[in-house]
Amino acid sequence: MTGIDRRDFVKSTGAAAGAAGLAGCVGGNGGGGDDGPTVGIIEDRSGNFGLVGTPKWASTRLAIEEINEDGGILGEQIGIFDPDPQSDNTRYQELVEQAIQQEDVDALWAGYSSATREAIRPIINREDQLYFYTTQYEGGVCDQSIFAVGATARQQLGIVIPYMIDEFGPDAYTIYADYNFGQLSEEWTRIILDENGGNLLGEEAIPLSETDFGSTINRIQEEDPDFVVSMLVGAEHEAFYDQRLSAGITDIPIATSTNMAQGYGHRRLEAPSMENVHCGVNYVEEVDTPASNEYVDAMYDRFDDLEYVNQEGQNNYFSVYMWKEAVEEAGTFDEDAVKEVLQEGMEVDAPEGTIELNGATHHMTHNMRIMRCDENHEIDFPGEPEIIEPTFLEEDIGCNLPENPEERQYEPLADFYDDPFPDV
Amino acid sequence: MVSTTAPAFVDIFSLVNLLLQFLDSFAFLVLAAVGLVVIFGMMGIINLAHGEFILVGAYATTLVAVAGAPFVVAVIIGTLVTAVFGILLERSILKYFYERPLDSMVATWAISIMMIQGTRIYFGNSITQASTPFGSISYGPYSYSAYRVSLAFVSLAVLAGIYLVFTRTEFGLKARATIQDADTARAMGVNTERIYVLTFGFGSALAGLTGALYAPTLSMSPEFGQNFLIEAFVAVVVGGASVVMGTSLAGILLGAISAFFSNVYSTFWGRIALLAAAIIAIRLMPYGITGVIEDFRDRRAAGMSVKEALRIPAIGVFLGFGGGKND
Amino acid sequence: MIERLKSALGALNGPNTYGNSRAFWVLFVVGVVGVFAYPMATGSYRAGQASLYLLYGFLALSLCFIWGYCGVLSFGQVAFFGLAGYTFGVVTLNFGAGATVPAALAGVVIATVVAAVLGYFMFYGGIRDVYVAIVTLAFTLVLYTFMAQTAGSEWAIGDARLGGFNGMPGIPNITVGGTALSGETFYYLVAVLLLVTYLGMRVLVNSRYGRVMVAVREDEDRAEMLGYNTKFVKFAVFTFGGLLAGISGMLYASWGNFIDPSVFALSFAALPIVWVSIGGRESLIGAIGATFFIERLSQELAATGSEWALVVIGALLLGVILLMPKGFVPMIDSYAKVGLRWLKKKRGKSEKEVPAVDGD
Repeated sequence: MTGIDRRDFVKSTGAAAGAAGLAGCVGGNGGGGDDGPTVGIIEDRSGNFGLVGTPKWASTRLAIEEINEDGGILGEQIGIFDPDPQSDNTRYQELVEQAIQQEDVDALWAGYSSATREAIRPIINREDQLYFYTTQYEGGVCDQSIFAVGATARQQLGIVIPYMIDEFGPDAYTIYADYNFGQLSEEWTRIILDENGGNLLGEEAIPLSETDFGSTINRIQEEDPDFVVSMLVGAEHEAFYDQRLSAGITDIPIATSTNMAQGYGHRRLEAPSMENVHCGVNYVEEVDTPASNEYVDAMYDRFDDLEYVNQEGQNNYFSVYMWKEAVEEAGTFDEDAVKEVLQEGMEVDAPEGTIELNGATHHMTHNMRIMRCDENHEIDFPGEPEIIEPTFLEEDIGCNLPENPEERQYEPLADFYDDPFPDV
Repeated sequence: MVSTTAPAFVDIFSLVNLLLQFLDSFAFLVLAAVGLVVIFGMMGIINLAHGEFILVGAYATTLVAVAGAPFVVAVIIGTLVTAVFGILLERSILKYFYERPLDSMVATWAISIMMIQGTRIYFGNSITQASTPFGSISYGPYSYSAYRVSLAFVSLAVLAGIYLVFTRTEFGLKARATIQDADTARAMGVNTERIYVLTFGFGSALAGLTGALYAPTLSMSPEFGQNFLIEAFVAVVVGGASVVMGTSLAGILLGAISAFFSNVYSTFWGRIALLAAAIIAIRLMPYGITGVIEDFRDRRAAGMSVKEALRIPAIGVFLGFGGGKND
Repeated sequence: MIERLKSALGALNGPNTYGNSRAFWVLFVVGVVGVFAYPMATGSYRAGQASLYLLYGFLALSLCFIWGYCGVLSFGQVAFFGLAGYTFGVVTLNFGAGATVPAALAGVVIATVVAAVLGYFMFYGGIRDVYVAIVTLAFTLVLYTFMAQTAGSEWAIGDARLGGFNGMPGIPNITVGGTALSGETFYYLVAVLLLVTYLGMRVLVNSRYGRVMVAVREDEDRAEMLGYNTKFVKFAVFTFGGLLAGISGMLYASWGNFIDPSVFALSFAALPIVWVSIGGRESLIGAIGATFFIERLSQELAATGSEWALVVIGALLLGVILLMPKGFVPMIDSYAKVGLRWLKKKRGKSEKEVPAVDGD
């Protein structure tokens, strides 16, 4: 348990408050001292990721406030450290250090993009900090200090691509943001197409800051696919949907794992530019269940300026409650004890429905849905939600963190699968 | 791309693709740069808040259009709002920086971050986008956004407009006199202060127009203006300080390169080719296309024949022996 | 012996630096002691945080040197910063933590060479004034766009993947004599390097070379007519600036164990200009101080989580640049001079005989 040693060392040499914090960690009353337990919420509220980060910040705050109103955890009120990292990775590194070393947080929610996750991962690993990464992502992170509770590409594309093949035909064309997330999602697209009898006609990587999609649209028309798989990200890439509309090709359906669920393009872009877009999601605010409605109402009651409750916001929300349960079961805020409880697995009642934490891989099962957008930008969810398990790490790779505490990311084609479409 | 046995007419359509992509890229480059070039070329100020002037135009246009006004009216209002905004900023802050143009970069950068965050605080992370006018141009199996293509013609009109303003109006004459020698102009009775205000207002209006025109095509967020900066600065480097000639030729050159590579290869290579062109241009034309043209004029004035004057010593330039504009 | 020491110390003072008086040096020594005592008082975390601001000091010095002393405004110092950081990452990821010192040298060498090539093209190509800013900015933005799209596995140098937008994680800490430097030890490394660099640069700018640089800044054409090769002066100064920026970038990669394309972004490229303008373009100590102060302040403001943080920073910068055209240190210096003159006058001395407290 080098992690504990490290923290003890930091505390004994660090600020005076450290001693109290240490007592809190091992104390029988489960916390205490002057500080009390604290969580870090380091989510973007300004800069490029402000749009998608704000609901994450708000959800985490809401969950902690609800818990505190309800009497806290183990009889203690939970403190909040919630700076604004301003979508700047260097600032993230500084703030995560501050959260761990000065604020002595007992659990941390931080970061939207995978770049941010990678930037702060060395600190998280060095300090052995209990950390929840909640964004839907490319998958494959097998890391003993990270609980990656968002849906993975395997889960999101795994619901939407089979549906597209059934509904529209087997031929797909993929466009994806040219970075780690997009590239690995594109690899998953190949694998899932192949598993479901689909066919890949072509693919194109789009630079992240690109706003001009004229040539891309021409290439899609040239290939004439049954559907397009889009892993475009960010405000720049949303220009694709407008150009798709004004080029008059909204009749080509789109499957996506990114658009709408995070940046709520169906609310912000003019109708009908998102018409015929299908996103694989585990949650969005349109999900119409009692649990979901209760959560959404609470969010809008608490935050007047809130624009949307996105998929990632819900992931922050349920993971706070998951942490609460683990702390209560462990009877202490001590991070190693809490982690041990979490690693035994846990069932969680989330706004998206009942889901399960897989202790071995630190990933979740999710209620995956197809979020379909019509010409008036109204959302519906064809079919029943389907529980999809995070099988890649557990079954294919054999990631077992309690037994083998790794810190790495596995990639589908490099580490397990053969490329089913090597010529495209 | 797997190209199956394509009949000949498909190739004609592919050429149309290329042409439309070129017009699209040309318009984007020119419109991204014009406001920046006017303020830089005429006043020597590098306006780091250029993107946020575009943002003002875009937000004003969108708010007016979404409220129900016709798109053209919204564009005009967006442009005017940005002009007024620019003038107010000039009167309240930037006029103190004319003696020190380099400090104005710090000032405009400060203004830029305040405006982005101010927009976020006031309007939130996003506002609803206006709808794109016109529909699509269809040909064979392909189609293209008619609006984006039409922007190429708007950008030509803008360039022509700038040319007329600076050559055919009294303001233009006085502005050019002020830029060349402010003291003399003042001695001749030109109210130079007023000229600076108007020039800045004009540059702001152009940036606002860019924002207004692209408002329906890009998603609205406080970072809207950042979309234009790389293209704008690359166009300025390649074009040089001459507003009309430099910018239009830069637009043609870079637009053609970018369109060719993104159309024939991929968007990725279009981007790489654009950057490579910028680097090569920095080397071959240190003062941009403007510098090359001025060199040509100087050589002609020095009595060289057209043929001699046209001979740009490219290899010598590349090795660093002269070339470019040495003043 | 004492004479020799005096002349060695004398080399530190001169007309091209602010702060030549005994009072300044006393304060300086107190300040240095304070900097070295800081980690003992605050612990490892604060030292780690402060070492970021100190390592940015090299970046600020690089711009202060070429802009403040030679009149060349580079908007692209972060390009050399970033290239050195990436080089450090590539070398260490290929050869392991044992190679951090050669990697550091490689980073600085690459930054210097690229600065030399770009400087050669620019200054021998006849680029002057504000065009230098435009060209260097364009160069930086080109690097930004390029590095952001190097995500594929084909963009790798040996074992080190460039990583595109996600950047390059897992860069080891700089390791000297078997000890990986982080926290306090890293802080001391940066502080010592910065102190030596600062003193060395004072000697340099007050030497004959410094006077030539200033001559080029004040009137390039006249300097040229007096027989100086102004192109070479600018080229050499720019190259040295690249070296300083390279030291900064190499330390940055080691500090965060990470580097990504945002080091080439416009928002980062503008920062050195802001630091140097606020501190005083012609003041080396001002550049370092302003960097530390501004970065610390932005961090504290970000930590509050207030949505007004960025607005406050912007307003502050705007206010300083409006009210203190020459920057903070020159303003303090002129106040100090006025104050001292007034004091001496009171004592009945003639104004003319009073030596300037701080040279100018």
